[in-house]
Order: sequence, then C-alpha cells, then structure tokens
Amino acid sequence: MTAEEFRLLRDHVYSHCGILVREDMKFVMERRLWPRLEALGLRDFSGYHRYLRYDAQRRVELEAAVEALTTHETYFFREPNQLKAFTDEILPVLQQRNASSRRLRIWSAGCSTGEEAYTIAMLLQQSRRFENWDVEVYGTDISRRVLATARRAEYGPSALRATPPEHVSRFFVPLGGNKVKVRDDVRAWVSFGQLNLLDAEACQLVAQMDVVFCRNVMIYFDLPARRRVLQVFHERLVPGGYLMLGHSENLLNLGADFELVHLRGDLAYRKPEPPPRGLR
Amino acid sequence: MTHVLAPHEEERYRAILALDPAAPGTLDALIVGLHDESWRVRRASAESLRRLTTLTEVAHRLVAVLGERGETGARNAAAEALVGLGDVSVAPLIKLLRHSDPDQRKFAADILGQLGRRSAESALVELLDDPDINVRVSIIEALGRVGSDTAARALEGILKEQDLLIRLAVLEALTQLQWPPPLPVVVPLLADAQLRRSAYRVMGLIPQVAATELISRGLSSELRSVREAALGALGTQASVADATLRTEIDSQTRAALKRVPDAVEFVAQAFEADDMPVRAGALVAAGALREPSLAISVAEAAREDRLLREVIRTLSRLGSEAGRELLGRMAELSLPARAAAAQAMLEMVDPSYVPALSALLEWAEDDLRAVAVKALGRTQSPEAVAPLVALLEEPSVAGAAVRALGVLSGGCREAVLKALEEVVERRPSPAAVAALAHAGGTAALPTFRKLARAPDPLLRAAALDAAMDVDPAVGLELARGALADEAAPVRTAGARAIGRVGDASAGTLLKRALQDEDIAVRLAAVEALGECGAVDRAPELEALVSHPDGALAGRAVRALARLGTVKPAVLREAARHADAEVVKAALQAGAVSAEGVALAVELLRHPGWDVRATAARVLGDSGGRESLEAVRAALAAEQDALARRALSDAVERLSRR
Repeated sequence: MTAEEFRLLRDHVYSHCGILVREDMKFVMERRLWPRLEALGLRDFSGYHRYLRYDAQRRVELEAAVEALTTHETYFFREPNQLKAFTDEILPVLQQRNASSRRLRIWSAGCSTGEEAYTIAMLLQQSRRFENWDVEVYGTDISRRVLATARRAEYGPSALRATPPEHVSRFFVPLGGNKVKVRDDVRAWVSFGQLNLLDAEACQLVAQMDVVFCRNVMIYFDLPARRRVLQVFHERLVPGGYLMLGHSENLLNLGADFELVHLRGDLAYRKPEPPPRGLR
Repeated sequence: MTHVLAPHEEERYRAILALDPAAPGTLDALIVGLHDESWRVRRASAESLRRLTTLTEVAHRLVAVLGERGETGARNAAAEALVGLGDVSVAPLIKLLRHSDPDQRKFAADILGQLGRRSAESALVELLDDPDINVRVSIIEALGRVGSDTAARALEGILKEQDLLIRLAVLEALTQLQWPPPLPVVVPLLADAQLRRSAYRVMGLIPQVAATELISRGLSSELRSVREAALGALGTQASVADATLRTEIDSQTRAALKRVPDAVEFVAQAFEADDMPVRAGALVAAGALREPSLAISVAEAAREDRLLREVIRTLSRLGSEAGRELLGRMAELSLPARAAAAQAMLEMVDPSYVPALSALLEWAEDDLRAVAVKALGRTQSPEAVAPLVALLEEPSVAGAAVRALGVLSGGCREAVLKALEEVVERRPSPAAVAALAHAGGTAALPTFRKLARAPDPLLRAAALDAAMDVDPAVGLELARGALADEAAPVRTAGARAIGRVGDASAGTLLKRALQDEDIAVRLAAVEALGECGAVDRAPELEALVSHPDGALAGRAVRALARLGTVKPAVLREAARHADAEVVKAALQAGAVSAEGVALAVELLRHPGWDVRATAARVLGDSGGRESLEAVRAALAAEQDALARRALSDAVERLSRR
C-alpha cells in the first residue's frame, strides 16, 4: 500500500463514519484490508479505492472495510469494576427514579457482537430490581454483520473468558462443542439495530435512554467526531442519565456537557439535571 | 452577567453557554467564569473564549489570569483556553517566558509545549539556561514536543550537565524527537540507576550493531530492572532496524538470553508490561528464543495494533509446533490475536494442519475462515479437497475457496478435478465453475458450453468467464451471444470477455453495450473498448467524459488514453469534472502531450491534495524545465505532506533537465 493509497482510503473511511486511522497504522490497515482485496479479486489498493468509490456494491463493501478496521474485541463481563459500580450504585438510583414509570432503557452503543448488551441484561436480571418492568437494552453497531452474530447469541470460549462459571450456568445454554447460547429470558430484554453514531439524523430514532454504554468505541474517532458523538449521547440521554465510557477513555478536551460522577468503585459521566424551577 | 453568578451550578453553566460572543462584556463574564468553583463552568468558559472575535485581547487576558496565585482552578482553565486558542497564544506566552516569576515562566513553557507550535522553538532554545531548574525542565519537555533538529542539537548539548533531573528530561525529550545522541554520550548514563531506563530507551533509537551489543549485555544482567529496560530498547531498536541489523539483533538476543536461566519466564512476564516498547522487546526476544510455549502470549500482544507487524513476524519464527498450539486454542484467543495468528499460520502450514483448519471453518468469523481456506490450499494435502469444495456454495468464502483449490491442484490435481467435476455435475454454482476452470483446463470446455445455456444467469456468466480462461476462441464465441442476453450480469461478462480478446473491429460489437440500460454493462463496455483498441467508438467515449457518474467518466478518459485519442478539449472537460478521480485520470492521460503538461501546471492549484500530487508527478515525468518555476511556487505554498513530497520530487527531476 503506497502512502497515497493509504491516505485516500483513510480519508474515504473517515468521511463515511468519522473513524480516523492514524498515520502510524498504515501496516495495520494494509493487513486488515488485504483479505477484502482478495475476496473481491482486486490486485491493489488503488483498485480497492476505486471499488469503494464506484462499484454498485460500494456501500456494502465500505461497511466491510470499516468492520475490518475496527477490531470488535469484546467479551462478556468486560471491565468488572465498572460493571460492579453500575450494579451497586447506578441501578439503585435508576430503580428509585423510574419507580413510577417502571421503565428502563439502556443503550449499548458500538455493541459489536452483542456481549456487552447481553451482559447488561444479565446484570439487570441478577439485581432483581426490575422484575415486571418494561426493560430494553438496545445494542447498536455500524456493522450489519456483527449484528447478525449478536442476534444469533451463540458464543465460544473466547467470549466467556471473563465470565464467572456460575454466570455461565445461569445465563447460557450449552450448544455442544465449545459453544453456548444466551438464554431466551435474557435475549428477550435485548434488541439490536444498525446505526452510524455520526449520523445524527438516524440517531434520532433511538429512544430516550437512562444509561449509555459506549466503551472502547470512541478510540476510533478523532476529536471532532468524538464531539459529535457525545452530542448525540447528550441528546438521547434523559436528564440525570449516565454515560459509561471505557477505562482508557475520558471526556478531557471534549466539553463539559456531562458532569463527572465519583462512584465508590469507578467514575461515570452524567447529563446534568436542570436546576430546580425556583432557581431558574 | 448576573446569571453567571447564579447560585446553582447548572444555571451558571447554561448562562455561560448562552453568552453572545459579540456582546460587550462577554469577555469579562467569561473571565469570571474561569474562576468558578465548578470545573464544568470553568471548562465551558474556557471553550467559549474561543468564539470571541478579539482573540489577541483574549490571549492577553488569559496570560494575566496565569499570574493569579491562589487561583489554581482559574489558572488551569486559562492554560486550557490558551491551548485552545492556538497560534494567537504563542506570542504572549513567549513574552511570558521572560517573566520575573519562575512560576509564570514554567506555566508559559508548559502551555507552549501543549500548543506544539514550531514557531516557539527558538524562544524556548534561547532560554534553556533558565536559572530555575523547574522552568528548565518544562522548557526541555516543551522542546520535546515542538522541536526540530535545532532543538535536538541544543538538547544534546546539555546532556553532559550534572543535574539528574535535567539529564533525565533531556533523554526523554530526545526520545520524543527520535534524535539519539552519539553512543559514547549515552553509554556512561547506563551506569546510573535513575537514568538507566531513559538511557536505554534513547539507545534503542541508534541503529548500530554496537548499540545492539550493549542492549544485549543488559538482557543478561542480574538485575531485573536492567533486563526490562534493555528489553524496551530492543523493541525500539527492532522497529528502526534495517534487514541486516535485524538479523544481528535476533542473533545477539538469542545469545544473550541463553545466559539467562529464567529467560522464557522473564519474557512471558514482559508481555504483561504496561510499557509498549517492553512488549515489543518481548516479541523480539520470543522470536529469538523460538520458544513455542510463548505462542499464545505473542499472539495476544496483537491487541496493541502498533505491535501487529512484529507479532506476525515473531509467530512465523516460532515454527509449526507453535502453529498447531495456536490452532488448537484459537477459540480462546482474543479477536486481534486470532487474526494475527491466522496470518502467521500461513507461513507455517503443513499437511498435518488440515483437521484443525477444517475445525476452524466450523465456528470462526468469515475473515478468519478466509485465512483458514487459504491455509488449506497451501497444505497441498488431498484431505483438504473435500472441506474446500464444500465451501464453494458459501458466498462469503467461495472466492477464497476457488483460489485455494487452484493452489491445491498444484499438488493433487486429480483429486481436486474429480471433486469439482462431481459438484459441477450435481449442483453447479458460479464458484464451482470458476474452480473447475482453474483446475480442469480445456477438458472442461464441453461443461462450460452446456452451462452457458443454463437458466441461472449467474451460471451463464460464470461459464463464459471460465471458457475465456481456458480457451479464448471459445470464450469469444460465447461472448458474442452473451451481449444479447436478457440478463445484465451475462452482458457484463460478455463485454468484459471481448475486452480481453477482441481486436479493433470489436467496436461494432460493443456499440449496443455502450448504451446499455445497466451501468455495470456500460462500464465493462467502456473498459473493453480501451483494451481492444476500437478507435471508431472514440466519439461515444468522448461524450461520456462529462458524465456525472465519476466511474463512467473516469473510465472513459482512461479508455481514450489507451486508444491514444485524447483531444485537448476532452482533457480540459475531464479536468473540470467534480470528481477528483476523473481529474486525476485526465492528468494521467495528458502526460503524453504538451496540452496535458500545461493542464498539470494549472492543476497544481486544485483543492484536492491527491490531484495536486498527481499533477506534480505528471510534471516530474513529462514537464520541461519551463515548468520548474510553477512547481517551485506550488511547493512553497503546499501544506500537505504527500503533495509536498511529490512536488519536491518533481522539482528535483525538473532541475536536472
């Protein structure tokens, strides 16, 4: 891949979805996209760029390229400290706040193959705070293909590498071989949809959420794209709603629309509630 | 203004955001906001300052806030705001570097470092001898971020100073600038426990065998901290080494690690380090040790993208035992590790891999399956035929399976052929037909002729492609009929086939395809015309150059270029196209003519960096010395790194004419 081919492909991907491949990632881009060239029978990356620009299948291929460039590394019960803080400190607040509506909405943005969305549903069930509530965990990702895996809900040992054995027996059904499937009662709380987080119009379709999980997704975006995505989250969260980022991420240099919440076991961000009426 | 003093934080925050940047008093209100007890209000104020129109005044007010001792929150917010203002902050901060209060000077240096503007370099270099040690450290750190070679040389000059903190900061800054000092200057620093890690880090940047020797010596130190620092240097050196030095690094590392009794354990632990160069060094060490038990740790190192190249290299060196270990535990690996392992496996594959690769096909993701398919082809084992043939019906990997069967037929042609003939007879698919063409040759022609009449259009198109692959004469015969087929994929295949084997007389055949209702057929026809030299169709191609579809217009330009009939007016038309790819096609087509060279000079001012770079290359190839001035002027104004490189090359080439 020449420097120019790299830049053209990088710019094209960026303009589509705000994902920025850094200059020092040329080798990674080459490695990850080469299988796509092979699948399409193309000889070089210039041809691949032309394909992405002009072919009738370009939309589908662009999705495949983005998917190849963003490693969907995810597994159940990832980042346990944060999940514990969510369970022990945030869920009680939500239970109290939404007691009258008995409705709870959680968005797993950039859900990849579904492990995070199902983990959240499992935690909700385990807490037993929301029985007979109207609960929905909504997983979205830019890639349609990973969503197909998420809906299938079948996973192998790699996805379960951080799952305590008692959770495996409680929330999964063995499928034979080394595979398991998420139990139906957990799946019933989870739905999935395809969404480009930079497509503000499409994001309007997302309901008002109590919590947004967006972990290890914004690492792929540059600063302007991060700001746009945060704006989307801000709009889709109810006042007082929580934003949970990955441990390597924060809102430094990204504005102050969210307030930092110091939980006992972790940090989270919250959309501020408007001041009491009398103080306006 | 009163709202920014409201008792409730959220109200003050919203009041700050609601301020009109053009209204009088806004700057004062925002400065008040910088002093707010809430960090959200302070940050909102800092960000809002950027929206004001009088930025120079803003910068000076912010610099004044930096001097308010006891107002830590406001000072930090002012610093953040100054960084956000960009270039306009540089001059007042340079002035602040000479303030009598060292605290202020330090602030100035820190912010200039964060701003990263080269324009601050000379001022920072001049003040490297600041009497206050903390200020000096901040200046050194800032130069590590903004400096060029000038700063690096200045920093190198103070490396001999006695103060430990200064030397440490200089080593880190030089590492950041990728500017290693001479080896003899670094060697004594290795003896100091507090400087050792940084000294090793900078030594890693020296691509010399002598540095490799010192690093290797560190690897066999009795002190674990020294070994780890040396490992980090090893990782850095491997990343900057050429092939010759790389061989030396591997052999010296191997020799050094032989003297370390717990080398394997040490390397395995190094993969858990937070420091990326140490993990990179662990990869080099694992490769040198050729220890298969490290395969999983090596593969998992691919979770850091920047290590991917070294991971694949290392895994390939670990040998086929490691490959089998990886294959057996593939389901437990993280996704990046699986992808890296799969890539490396291609290098190690042998016939014994077939069962594990077949098992992988049962559960893995498509990308990984595609690699497994490729690997199966490379096993050269008859056992691989059945799993590959079974994949021909799966669209996501069928193409890979066709190619793998082609490779496999090099070692066991009869088995491949027999299986493909059976499948094409029983349940033909486009992929199976393509595979049969690869493996079967002309013996399969009757089958292809028969399939060219199949009800499924995709099979008809595949049969035509296959026939063309094995016997162009038969392919051409089938292609004529295909152009009148009712299905677009078949007409496309027909046009493509004629392009491959047709001659100048094929223009008549392709006339209808050129006006086809389906864009894919038209694209194939345009390309075919260029390939077979049908100059009689040039007027139709010229008409397409202004077509709004960039694919059609660009391909028409390229076809005309192949026909050798690009007129100057057509070139100019294409150069005005909204799609940059068409403009680049025009530039490339024009490279053979004086008109094209003149066009390239004009397009040096095109808004697209890639167009400017292409124009520069065309001028470098085809321009005369008279173009030199225009290219030099473009180079002086160019901001884009790639376009600059192309312009610089062009200047060099034109200067020699």
